[in-house]
Order: sequence, then C-alpha cells, then structure tokens
Amino acid sequence: MDSEDDMHDANDLESLDDDFYSGETAMGSDDGDAGYDFVDNESDDSEDITSHRQQQNYTILSEVDIRQHQEEDINRVSIVLSISRSAACILLRHYNWSVSKVHDEWFADEENVRKAVGLLENPVEMQNARELSCGICFENYPHNNMSTAACGHHFCGSCWRGYIGTSISDGPGCLMLRCPDPSCSAAVGQDMINILATDEDKEKYSRYLLRSYIEDNRKTKWCPAPGCDFAVEFVMGSGNYDVCCNCSYNFCWNCTEEAHRPVDCGTVAKWILKNSAESENMNWILANSKPCPKCKRPIEKNQGCMHITCTPPCKYEFCWLCLGAWSEHGERTGGFYACNRYESAKQEGAYDESERRREMAKNSLERYTHYYERWATNQSSRQKALADLHSMQTEKLEKLSDRQSQPESQLKFIIEAWLQIVECRRVLKWTYAYGYYLPEHEHAKRQFFEYLQGEAESGLERLHQCAEKELQVYLDAETPMKDFNDFRTKLAGLTSVTRNYFENLVRALETGLKDVGSSNSQATCSKTSSSKCLGGKSKIGKIKAGGTTSRSGGPSRSLDESNLWSCDQCTYVNPRSTNTCQMCEHRRCTT
Amino acid sequence: MANSNLPRRIIKETQRLLSEPAPGISASPSEDNMRYFNVMILGPTQSPYEGGVFKLELFLPEEYPMAAPKVRFLTKIYHPNIDKLGRICLDILKDKWSPALQIRTVLLSIQALLSAPNPDDPLSDNIAKHWKTNEAEAVETAKEWTRLYASGA
Repeated sequence: MDSEDDMHDANDLESLDDDFYSGETAMGSDDGDAGYDFVDNESDDSEDITSHRQQQNYTILSEVDIRQHQEEDINRVSIVLSISRSAACILLRHYNWSVSKVHDEWFADEENVRKAVGLLENPVEMQNARELSCGICFENYPHNNMSTAACGHHFCGSCWRGYIGTSISDGPGCLMLRCPDPSCSAAVGQDMINILATDEDKEKYSRYLLRSYIEDNRKTKWCPAPGCDFAVEFVMGSGNYDVCCNCSYNFCWNCTEEAHRPVDCGTVAKWILKNSAESENMNWILANSKPCPKCKRPIEKNQGCMHITCTPPCKYEFCWLCLGAWSEHGERTGGFYACNRYESAKQEGAYDESERRREMAKNSLERYTHYYERWATNQSSRQKALADLHSMQTEKLEKLSDRQSQPESQLKFIIEAWLQIVECRRVLKWTYAYGYYLPEHEHAKRQFFEYLQGEAESGLERLHQCAEKELQVYLDAETPMKDFNDFRTKLAGLTSVTRNYFENLVRALETGLKDVGSSNSQATCSKTSSSKCLGGKSKIGKIKAGGTTSRSGGPSRSLDESNLWSCDQCTYVNPRSTNTCQMCEHRRCTT
Repeated sequence: MANSNLPRRIIKETQRLLSEPAPGISASPSEDNMRYFNVMILGPTQSPYEGGVFKLELFLPEEYPMAAPKVRFLTKIYHPNIDKLGRICLDILKDKWSPALQIRTVLLSIQALLSAPNPDDPLSDNIAKHWKTNEAEAVETAKEWTRLYASGA
C-alpha cells in the first residue's frame, strides 16, 4: 500500500484529471480480498465462477428472510428494552432499523427517545364514563366501542378506520402515525392498526413495514432488476461493490446500475446520461444538417446535388453550399454544381464560425460513436453469450456428454468458459465508457490502456471463438472424437489466460492507470508478474514498473526478461525453465 | 340533493358555529350547499389588518373530516402567507391536517396568522421580501390595502 500511495502523490498527472476518476471506486482498498480474484483459485478450478465471486460481502434476502430478520430485530429490542413488540417496531423504524442505535439512544436518554417517537411512559387511565363522544364524528358511543392510543383520546371505530385508511393511502408516512388529536403525539403502532384497520389496509401497512426495513436501512437495498423481489444486505467497507442477485442480475451496490467494475460509478453515470441525453441527437443534427434558410427546419442532405428544395409547405429552393436563393444561381455563380459564392465567401471567412462548429460537432460525434458502438456491441455479445450459456446448461451439455461419452461432471470447463465470456464481455463493455472519458492528452495512459484493452479483447475473441465454433464440431460428431481432450486443454487454457488478461485490465483501471507516467519508467503488461508464471504464491496485482517506453503498447510480444517466454498459441507467459506451455501444453518454439 | 346525507359531524359543527360563534369570526353555510361556507374574519386588533372585514370562502370536500377543508380569501389582502388569488399557506390546511380539527379551529388559526405574519415561510415572495427588508413599510402597505379593500363596504 505504501508504494501505491507514493506513486499516487508523485504522479501529478493524476491530479489533472481527478474529474475523470472521481466517484467511488474501490481504489486503495486492499487488493487481496476483493471478490474478483480470478487468479488465485488454482485449487478450485472446478468451482464455478459465480459462486466464487460471492465472497460473503453481501447476502441475498428473500421476502421470507426479510420478514424473519425484521422479526428478530423487533424481538431483540422488545426483550432488551422490556417494551411491547409494537413499540419496538416504532423505535426501530425511527432509527432506521439499527438495533444498536436504538439501544444507544434509549439507554442514553430514554425520556427524550420516548418523546421523539411518541411512546408515552404512563398510559392515561381509561375514563369511567359509560358514554363518550368521538372527537371526529361527534357522535356518542358506549365506552367499549371506542379506542385510544396510550394518550386517552377516544375515537370511534369507524373514524379510526377512516383515519388509518387515509394515512395508509398517503404512503409510507403511515408508519409514523400519531393520535388524531392535533395536540397529541402518541404513536399509533401496528398493534392498533391490526385491530382497527380494514384487511386491505392491514396488508398495505405490513408491506410498507417490510419495504421500510429494506429502504430505510443503510445496509440493505432492493435488487433493481424489474420484477425481482430479492433484497441485498451488504457489508460496508468490503471494497468491491459488485453484487449478483439470485435472479442472476448483476448490479453495483453503490449506484444500483448494472455491474460496471472496473469503471467507477461517476463515469458510468456520465456515460449513461450521455447515451440517453438529447445532446447527442443535437450534435448529430448540428453535424449533418443545415437549417432551411427560410423556415429554419433542419435539413439532412443525404444525396443529390446542391439544389435543395425544402419540403412542403415551405418549398424554398436554395443552394446547399451558400444557403442563398437558388433563383440567384446559374452560370454566373460558377455553375449549378460548384457555387463559387461559397468558395469566395469561405475564403473571406464569412462562413467560418458555423462551419467550424459543424466540423467540431462532427468530430466529437464520431469519437463518441466509436466508443458507443463498441460498448453496445459488447453489450449484445454478452446477451448472446448469456443465452448460449443457458442453452449449454439446459440442453447442449447433456448432448455433448452423450456424443463424446464424457460424464457431465467432466464438462464443467465448458460452463466455466461461458461464464468467463459473459463476465469479460461485461468488463470489456465498460472499458469503452472508460476509454471515452480518458483524456486525449494523457498519451502514456491512453497507450497503456489501449494496449491492455487490446490484449484482453483479443484473448476474449479467441476464447469466444473456441467456445462457440470449435465446440460445435464435437457437438455435431456422431461418435466420440479422440482429440476431445486436446479441446478440453485448449478451452480451459484460454479461459484461464483470458481471465488473467481481464484481471490485469481491471486492476489497472481500478488504480486509475497510475503506474504509467511516473518518473522515467513505463509499465509493461502485468502478465509478467502473474503468480503462475513466476511459480510463486504471490497474488497478481501490482503492475511491475520496468522496461522501456518503446515496448509498451508495441505489437511485439517479445519479452526481454530472460527467464520468461511467451507461448505462440495461447500467449501465456511461461518461465524459461519449462519447454511446454503451462497453460495449453503447446511446445515452445525455440528459434 | 347533496345536502340530504350530510354527515352528522358537519351538521353539528354548523350548529355550533352559528350558536356559539368565535369572537371576530362568522361562518354561515350557503343555502344551496351545506358544504360551502361564507366566512368573515375581522382584522385582529394591533395588526395592520385592524378595522378590516375579510371575506373568505370555505368548502368541505367529500372526504371531510379525513381531508382538510379548502379555504381562500376573497378580499384582497397584503400578507406574506397569502397570495393574490387568496390562497393561504397554513400547515393545518395541508400536511398537518387532523380529523380532530374543525372549521372553528381552522378559522381561528387563520385569524392568528393575520396577527402574526410569517415571512420566513412565504407564499408570496415579493410581499415576504418586502416584509423582511422593510417591515415598517410593508405594514403600511398592508394597512393601506385594508383601508382600500376591506373597509367593510
């Protein structure tokens, strides 16, 4: 950690673009216990990635779980403070369902707490009169037909029902209901609701109570997927915000957008806003259209000559170049296809301002389109991969097991490959949002980023290709094929290699590419420090600084560390001591 | 006729308003709609509205008393919590309404609001600003308006 902090301080480029890396990344948190450690699961290759990622920094709660937790909390407070469950419930809701906060506040100043939430200490004695007047409808009722909170303000059953019903239909504020008497603050809790309200209102109240337990609690949130009823309880301060709900939706606990690690929440919010913002439409219109000189509606010139006729009812005819009336055009102006009024006016600088704006808008639009297309393509690739994964799990695996005479338990590597593809497509997608916001002038960072992204992307393409196309051969085969084991080795190898690449990419982005540009050393691809290739147990992670500028980002994969070599087939970096790739068992080419 | 099944509460309230009126306040139901009241409030003594007679209308919605009555000034008045349409900024007419409140309590609250304008929670920004920057002058304007529009003619 020390060295990282030093780098951070030393790197003055970092401060220039704080804006771009603002937001809550897991920056500076301990690399080790983030749930993303694809690398150090050497021992449990068979375990699937999903379960691996669920390293207990969150729990998924079903409605039953939620009610149970809520009951438990209420019971605890009720027992410790010796108050009714209903009172405990009111207290907990007031303190956002934090049991410890309730205890702290209560034992610090019980009187004040009681006052704040409306729990009267000494319930008022019941009046002895046989008949009482309801303070709302002014009717007289026998004593036993009236109800009151602890304060002794009596109202009749029908007025209570109306009062409670009005409050419940106004929303979750009903959980803080007080006595109808305007001068009285006595709380009306669930016990009274259950006696006095209609069945429908009781049910609504109970739902509000359940929702409150999730929504008012700092540690819990609903899964944002449409129609999903699960909630997530998150352990604060555990770094990684990625959450995978039981409904299989992946989202960021912090901003509740879909999972976007390694890109920070701020960048994601900006990107999503940009994608939806009208501004891009405006940019397009600006770049590709000119307003009709007469009616000012924007016109896109998608073909044809410079003679434009605006659509009815305007029908104005004008020259696209100089925007002058077409009636003034002809031989005089240099012919119909070359308006020299435009050329000369351009030379005089008359058109410069609007032209330049158009030009700029076009450039920025093209840049945005570049990133957006790649972002969107990976998004749809991921959807496709998810569908493929599903069909693999539900039908194809069985078929393959049948065709190749392999027990399904031996085919887990295929599922693992697909899970890896799905995850990588997600990461890759978000790196395009990251790339869009990476400042142009940070050349070293851009170069390094694009290098890592390129490596990761080509690794993923190889993996995707292998899992999609090459697997098909074995699915189509009528009889078991001898080289199935080779395929297994290759696919498993590619899965692992791709995992490494993405691990590097994720780590580099999460540290804001800060290993680049400090002093005179350039970072090299961190695969050289992978724990596997060095044969050590140390985790991957710190990107080694070293090497020279010319090497980073270059296409050459020759690595001059004398004790390493890179496999021709899968590009895995192996120690020199072996002649066979540890990943794919391809023999080293020694020329 | 809408009056045929008027809740007992409204009938009782109306009777009491007529038999024991609050000082400085009168409220009488309209003949053809028992939920609609013509209200008059006398400007409280020692307020800029002293000597004025202010007309208001008050309507009890279907949900009354679960929902608050709707009240509005008909007489023009210079007051930071009352806008030019006569709408009143008063908590018990909004979120602080309780079914245990009554027409009488609402009108007494409005009378109190005339005695104690609250420019920190204004409905009319201009008047509130005037009140805060130069209270003496604003009070003069309020007196002027009372003379002009609420002289009881």
